[in-house]
Amino acid sequence: MTDTDIPAPERSSARSYRLTEDIAAGLFLALIAAFFLWQAWDLPLGRLRAMGPGMLPVSIAAILGAGGLMLALAAFLKGGPILTTPHVRGLFFILGGIILFGLLIRTMGLIVAGPVAMIFGSFATSEVRPVEAVIFALVMTAFCILLFKYALGLPIPVVAFM
Amino acid sequence: MDLISNLSLGFGVAFTVQNIFLCFIGCMIGTLVGVLPGVGPVATIAMLLPITFGLDPTGALIMLAGIYYGAQYGGSTTAILVNIPGEATAVVTTLDGHQMAKQGRAGAALGVAALGSFFAGCVATIFIAAMGAPLTKLAQLFGPAEYFSLMVMGLVFSTVLARGSIFKALLMVFLGLLLATVGTDLETGQERMTLGIQQLSDGVDFAPLAMGIFGFAEIIRNLENPEARDVVRGKIGKLMPSWAEIKQSVPPVLRGTFIGGLLGILPGNGAVLGPFASYTMEKKLAKDPSRFGKGAIEGVAGPEAANNAGAQTAFIPLLTLGIPPNAVMALMVGAMTIHGIIPGPQVMTKNPDLFWGMIASMWIGNAMLVIINLPLVGMWVKLLKVPYRLMFPAIMIFCCIGIYSINNSVQDVYFTAFFALLGYILIKLGFEPAPMLLGFVLGKLMEEKLRQSLILSRGSFMTFVERPVSGVLLAVAVIMLVIALLPSINKKRDAVFQE
Amino acid sequence: MKKIALAAAIAAIVAAPAFAQTYPNKAITMIVPFAAGGPTDIVARIVAEPMSRALGQTVIIENVAGAGGTTGITRGAGAAADGYTLMMGHMGTHGAAPALYPNLKYDPAKDFAPIGVAAGTPIIIVGKKDHPANNLKEFIEWAKKQGDKSNHAHAGIGSVSHSTGILLNSIMGTKPTFIPYTGTGPALNDMMSGQVDYMTDQIVNLVGQINAGTVKAFAIATAARSPALPNLPTTKEAGIDGYEVSAWNAVFAPKGTPADVVKKLEAALNSALDDAGAKKRLDDLGAVSPVGNDRGSIALQKLVETEVARWTPVLKAAMAASK
Repeated sequence: MTDTDIPAPERSSARSYRLTEDIAAGLFLALIAAFFLWQAWDLPLGRLRAMGPGMLPVSIAAILGAGGLMLALAAFLKGGPILTTPHVRGLFFILGGIILFGLLIRTMGLIVAGPVAMIFGSFATSEVRPVEAVIFALVMTAFCILLFKYALGLPIPVVAFM
Repeated sequence: MDLISNLSLGFGVAFTVQNIFLCFIGCMIGTLVGVLPGVGPVATIAMLLPITFGLDPTGALIMLAGIYYGAQYGGSTTAILVNIPGEATAVVTTLDGHQMAKQGRAGAALGVAALGSFFAGCVATIFIAAMGAPLTKLAQLFGPAEYFSLMVMGLVFSTVLARGSIFKALLMVFLGLLLATVGTDLETGQERMTLGIQQLSDGVDFAPLAMGIFGFAEIIRNLENPEARDVVRGKIGKLMPSWAEIKQSVPPVLRGTFIGGLLGILPGNGAVLGPFASYTMEKKLAKDPSRFGKGAIEGVAGPEAANNAGAQTAFIPLLTLGIPPNAVMALMVGAMTIHGIIPGPQVMTKNPDLFWGMIASMWIGNAMLVIINLPLVGMWVKLLKVPYRLMFPAIMIFCCIGIYSINNSVQDVYFTAFFALLGYILIKLGFEPAPMLLGFVLGKLMEEKLRQSLILSRGSFMTFVERPVSGVLLAVAVIMLVIALLPSINKKRDAVFQE
Repeated sequence: MKKIALAAAIAAIVAAPAFAQTYPNKAITMIVPFAAGGPTDIVARIVAEPMSRALGQTVIIENVAGAGGTTGITRGAGAAADGYTLMMGHMGTHGAAPALYPNLKYDPAKDFAPIGVAAGTPIIIVGKKDHPANNLKEFIEWAKKQGDKSNHAHAGIGSVSHSTGILLNSIMGTKPTFIPYTGTGPALNDMMSGQVDYMTDQIVNLVGQINAGTVKAFAIATAARSPALPNLPTTKEAGIDGYEVSAWNAVFAPKGTPADVVKKLEAALNSALDDAGAKKRLDDLGAVSPVGNDRGSIALQKLVETEVARWTPVLKAAMAASK
């Protein structure tokens, strides 16, 4: 590759290369299939009379991978809608909120995990109103403690740090 | 007639003040835990077991059964309102139910779901009373080979769940099947693809998968397109289905009741297939199948009826064979034994008042659920008016607590986050999660049954064709597949001509 | 003065937990390593109620299912040894597990403070209803003659029916074809329709079917006959020596739990077993609750040691053969 091959920025966005939804979709599935094949490779396949643990994972992964490649190839030839950019803000705060809940529920209890996860998660939208989010999180946590711990009697740690 | 005298015995038992009250309490609790994502009937029934120690066995079982079908009703509510299926059977309801909610028709969807379920429950109750015992024999025809063929048929159904490309839906089914193979191998006990994570040795759990891939992925998508969701919020619509909508729903409810009721009898948890089968049938019979997946009321009415009919007839293998077809029924076995009743084929003759009392209470429970749920529809619909910036953190905390409480496991919470990411990627790539979830649910059973049949036949695939019931099921699957593929071929041709 | 008073107050608060006389002063969690509603869960819930009364604090059941019960027991073994976390272990988690799970993170005999056995449910050998054999002797002959043509069902690796089934075949010297299921229900269903020939399982799962004649019972693997099935001979009476097994459930605390706390828990469990209501419920399950010397910490420790020694060689050999 030489310097002259690098397209000008204006050009690159439109024509020279298009990652369509289905090309990405096919490749993504092929990737998953490859991962499973790698993981299941060492499992014995067995015979039909007594199928081994590897028989089904390997064959299903092979079908999935082949199908994924077919999808990608067909989309490469045919074209299709272009992949849109992901909503990073939503992903970060929602997934982060869930993970914070997981980190805090056993170490601190619901009384901390609930508000922290909810307030953090609230920032997934640009419409967030911080004061409202904090108040709402506290009220909801109190409600959840009453509902899950006392009304339903689930063994959820409420205060774990004492 | 025997049936009438038996039923009057049953109603005599069920219509005491105490039992009606217990049935009511059970239905209330069931609706509550059904609505809450994650907290399922299994955990609730287990927690309430010691409370029922003081009751007589019939009363205790009536209450526990009330929780079970109450949870079915409640689960539909969550599926329609926030697109989270609490159980495999509610997956189908999310398809058109949630679309209806997005169009401001949540009231109609909830109303039809409640009325359809009530009807199905009534029919199933009579069905159990009249045909329970003879149908048991039919169920005994189902060995591993028959279940496998039935599952193959189920997989053919799954392609119909797709709104878009059938090929992509098929790929999702295979992804579901692949996820189902994670975990300890049935036969050798070897760990498969568990990445050394202890929690995965029992396989991927349904709840984190469904909640991640449906609920959370949907939240992120909603946050991405604020316009789409705010348009919806503007119009709330009527609380009840219109007369036209009810008329439209009657045939699907009838068909759904029949299919769901029949599949529910199978002791191998055939009830799971009921809603899928019903949805397939409605989409195939519809004049305009393209409405499905975009808020077709038949897509709610039929599967909901099938679900409730199946939930009810699932009592048949428990009461007549002593074989629990699913986790809730297994818990019922525990409850019966704790109360000194030994489940088995003799319950009907040894404890007729319990047997018939429970059947009668099913009808009472269904009536009660309509009475409880119809007024609640208004409340649920109003809940949709809550601004989304408050709604989604609330859904999030309920889901987190629910997921955690299933196994009291933090890992399950992390898995949910992982599947939310996977679900969002899949949506982004134009895949639909419903066929994947069906593949996942069927996959677990399918591998088990396939391997059992092949061990029993000592490796001969002919067993699937030679056994008559299995052969017929496979033939139906093949015919269905051909029918499913035909219109899509035609459609493609049309599309080409239009261009 | 104020300062001294404050210091004293703080000292009193800090020092309070040191006076363990007050145990228990908060709710106790009992981990059940199986899903709610299973036999172990039911036994736990039956004894938890009278134990709560005896201790004056609620005993909360926490279900932590997974990996044949070893997930929950692993968590319990690592919990604080203060008597506020207990476990309901069973034959699998504290007997068969070391042989079945090579990466097991606990030692059943060393990592626990045993409290006592809560209940044991006897094992029964059953065959399909039209099984050609009519008693245990004929059955053994039949099984030997059939070789791998016979189909033996079990409810999955690590289940009670799996371990006890493997032990039975190793004692009989037979090598059937094993048909694995994911639970007792489906296995039983296929036996009732005649697709599989025989299996072993807990009395509670079988007694209804035996009485109805949908399956044929050959023997019960206990020293004495069960009052629930008085006509069923014991394995010894019917002709097998050394096949006396039961699926027992027992309460454990983590290693290092103070001796006085163990004493209190032992007493609470014993009073729970003497409670008329709990006793009746356990009897209804077909379970045998321990009496006399079979109760308590010392007996349980001995039981765990003998069980591990009994299961390890049989199961290891069987697992190696299947791979």
